Amino acid sequence: MQNELKYVGKSWRRKDGPDKVTGRAVYTQDVKLPNTLVGRILRSPHPHARIVRIDTSRAKALPGVKGVITVEDTKGIKHGFVETPRYPPDQEVLARGKVVHVGEEIAALAAVDALTAQQALDLIEVEYEVLAAVFDPEEAMKPGAPEIHPSHPKAPRALVNIGGTTETEWGDVEKGFAESDYVREDRFECQLRTHGYLEPHVTLAHWENDKLNVWTSSMGVFVKRAKLAKVLDLPYSSVRIHKTYVGGTFGGKIDLYSHEYCACRLSMLTGRPVQIAASREEIFSAYRHAQPLTLEIKTGVKRDGTIVAQRIRAINNAGGYRGSGVVVIFLAWGFTMIPYRIPNLKYEGFSVYTNHTVRAPQRGHGAPKVRFAIESQMDMIAEALGMDPITIRLRNARGPGEKLPNGDDTHRGNLGECVRVAAEKSGFLEKFGRDRKSPPKGTIRRGIGIGVSAYMGGTLIYPNGSAVIVKMNDDGSAIVLTGAIDIGQGSETVLSQIVAEELGIGMDDVKIISSDTDTTPQDIGAWISGMTYVTGNAARQAAGNAREKLLQAAAEKLGTRAEDLLAENKVVWHRLNPEMRLTYREVIAYSVATRRGDTIIGEGFWRTMRDEPMHPSLATTRGRWTENYAFSAQVAEVEVDIETGEAKLVKALTVHDCGFPINPALVKGQVDGQVSMALGHAFMEEVLTKDGYTLNPNWLDYRMPTIHEMAISEDADVITEQYRVGQPYRTKEVGEGLISGILAAMGNALYDATGVRLRSTPFSAEKILTGLRRLEYQKKMARKKTPEPAGS
Amino acid sequence: MLEATRGSRTAATKAPTQLISLCVNGEWREVAVKPRHTLVEVIRDSIGLTGTKASCESGTCGACTVLLEGRPVLGCITLAIECDGMEIRTVEGLAQGEKLSALQEAFLDQGAVQCGFCTSGMLMSATALLENHPKPDRDQINKALEGNLCRCTGYNAIVDAVLQASGQGVKPVMR
Repeated sequence: MQNELKYVGKSWRRKDGPDKVTGRAVYTQDVKLPNTLVGRILRSPHPHARIVRIDTSRAKALPGVKGVITVEDTKGIKHGFVETPRYPPDQEVLARGKVVHVGEEIAALAAVDALTAQQALDLIEVEYEVLAAVFDPEEAMKPGAPEIHPSHPKAPRALVNIGGTTETEWGDVEKGFAESDYVREDRFECQLRTHGYLEPHVTLAHWENDKLNVWTSSMGVFVKRAKLAKVLDLPYSSVRIHKTYVGGTFGGKIDLYSHEYCACRLSMLTGRPVQIAASREEIFSAYRHAQPLTLEIKTGVKRDGTIVAQRIRAINNAGGYRGSGVVVIFLAWGFTMIPYRIPNLKYEGFSVYTNHTVRAPQRGHGAPKVRFAIESQMDMIAEALGMDPITIRLRNARGPGEKLPNGDDTHRGNLGECVRVAAEKSGFLEKFGRDRKSPPKGTIRRGIGIGVSAYMGGTLIYPNGSAVIVKMNDDGSAIVLTGAIDIGQGSETVLSQIVAEELGIGMDDVKIISSDTDTTPQDIGAWISGMTYVTGNAARQAAGNAREKLLQAAAEKLGTRAEDLLAENKVVWHRLNPEMRLTYREVIAYSVATRRGDTIIGEGFWRTMRDEPMHPSLATTRGRWTENYAFSAQVAEVEVDIETGEAKLVKALTVHDCGFPINPALVKGQVDGQVSMALGHAFMEEVLTKDGYTLNPNWLDYRMPTIHEMAISEDADVITEQYRVGQPYRTKEVGEGLISGILAAMGNALYDATGVRLRSTPFSAEKILTGLRRLEYQKKMARKKTPEPAGS
Repeated sequence: MLEATRGSRTAATKAPTQLISLCVNGEWREVAVKPRHTLVEVIRDSIGLTGTKASCESGTCGACTVLLEGRPVLGCITLAIECDGMEIRTVEGLAQGEKLSALQEAFLDQGAVQCGFCTSGMLMSATALLENHPKPDRDQINKALEGNLCRCTGYNAIVDAVLQASGQGVKPVMR
């Protein structure tokens, strides 16, 4: 085969780019059908209450109202982010008898226009009996706390409101701590953050000819179909999710949302299309945000920095239903065990119901919090041992060919190499400690910090794998049928590159039909960092399969062997006799004539770990997880104004191993986006709540990074894999693993700049100033040798 | 008999309606609006140009930015009725037929587009900037785009795109 790659490994412009810069790209909110009704949702004003009575009669009587539904109009079928024997679905599409968070969906209606719909909502009467509520997970766990749901039957008896647990251990941690030269224990906390996708949630549903047509902003159409069909009690063939472009998701559009069900059900009832769009305030107040984790970490090390033992306790504030809460406590273990060797580990995670909104995955799904905690503590340990942050990481970093505790393999992944490159490229050791040793004049202090992370890609979650069909046309161009959804990551571009490369045709010859449950094959979805690997390999196979068929037909026509033929630029020729040649058009015409009209259709399928039946146990972590781990080391340079306490990220360096970059510029786009999102996490963003109510349900009060917060973002790709035409390739992960190390690096850089160690995010000016004052006070007291007063 | 089938008026239909004229991307359009209708609603729903995006409804994200008499305004907090007789440019009006503007090309060359939801508003703010400052410096770019949120790119590629479009030595990174 050809060695020179023409399309793969190059930064091709986005296939969807021209449509997006001209306004032609159709997003869900742009889909219009005649005679569409406007749907609205009635939401709970209470964090915890019994519903005594719902009366919709006045709303139904309002002219212009075409349908009103409550839970009584549903089949009562539950759904959940997780649906397993241990964690059966736990949530109805509308509240039944009780609400467990502010904003929970109670009723929905459809009317001829938005004002009428709004007016009708006010006419629905609901009588509540308000119940005691609990918001802090550690309070909610204690016996005697208001019971939101019964604890999971396998949860420790003494605790309440436990949605699920993850427990695992290896080695002997107590023995490990006893053998350690230095042991320390710290507690870390993270704030509640939200995804901040610009496109609001919106769904358009149209029941027509016994079939539901649905347009909805999502991260994977097959997951949506499975869940919608289930709660609507319809066969899959009666639910079609259509393709639309998606205006940002970051984890917040995976789950089945109540408004999606309601739009469908109301369309079935009224016989008219129904659109339900969430307002930004609804998204902030009632929709799913990320998971604020609390982590208690005890680590024991040898004098040289080698980790001997680690004990971790993670508590997740899961909100009113199980959501992805039981997943994040599993993942918190996973993100602990990948980067460093930990000979003895004991991990326990608790997902705790509270009267907050339900939680969803958010880019990184727990990793930012875990890495922030572990990497912060790593620096504290290094300082106590008199080591630098690089040496201690190199001491513990995993290298190629290592077996992980769950039986997975690091393959060619190499965290040590990432750390070495990051240290060198950033001039880390020359900069580290500079401003603390000799503070410069003025009020600005600069610091440098490092954090590492690792992420898995393409694990086994429904539908576990992806299939792709490559359908060639008479002229040699190709249509790619894929369920992959482009949420901005560039799947259509990457898949086109792969198909063009494998088939020897141009980028413009490849057209993608994507993410439509009726016309495209099943796909894993854009949500477990697996699309380029899983769907990409399926596309490679499908194109390769088409190429084989093409060469076979050409060989037959030319009277030679397929092995002796080469194919490129839509021409097949004999490698020893270039005169012996056929255009793709000629070969396909021959195929059509001799193979029952086959213009040549290739099929491909990819799934990770074919010998593994399912995802590892969320409760025990047993079972293999993935064949793809991507390692990264990130360096942050932070500036702090010690007068105001304001801090900002000035420069980020990301050194990562994404496997083989199919499109390096798209990889860079993922890096930059994650650096930006992480600096929002570090310095700006927090969903503020009081008694379950969101206090800042808009972007004026929930600050996301603007162009003023842009940081210099450099990156270096430690390329460990190669792409060869006709061979399986290994791309790893780049879409969400790089949001974590940089967060930790910012915390460590802040310490390097000021000596202030923060154990909770965000790193607000207030916390930094308090820390600086405490340091001053400690210095003064050290001179006077009097004890520090409590609460200073 | 007619009365019986006519039904009661909904609140939405009660308010008075006014005809206004807007020159949208060079074409005069006449639309009926209520006093409460925002410019983004009229552009998207009445005129049918859906390239302008609706996102925050409160003037905080810039996704609905259009040019009103050449100046960027936020369509979600501008009342359509106040725009009677004015000239409006939307993302659909940036290309000359098939030919994209230098800025649109630069957005593609630099990877300044990911999900694309901020792109229309970003392009309109940046277009206005370049019309007033053909070679903007970093401060001017920051000032012009500070009201446009982007959650995907971290803004780096967008700044590079503006620099490329204004011929300030930034080369395309994509082919």
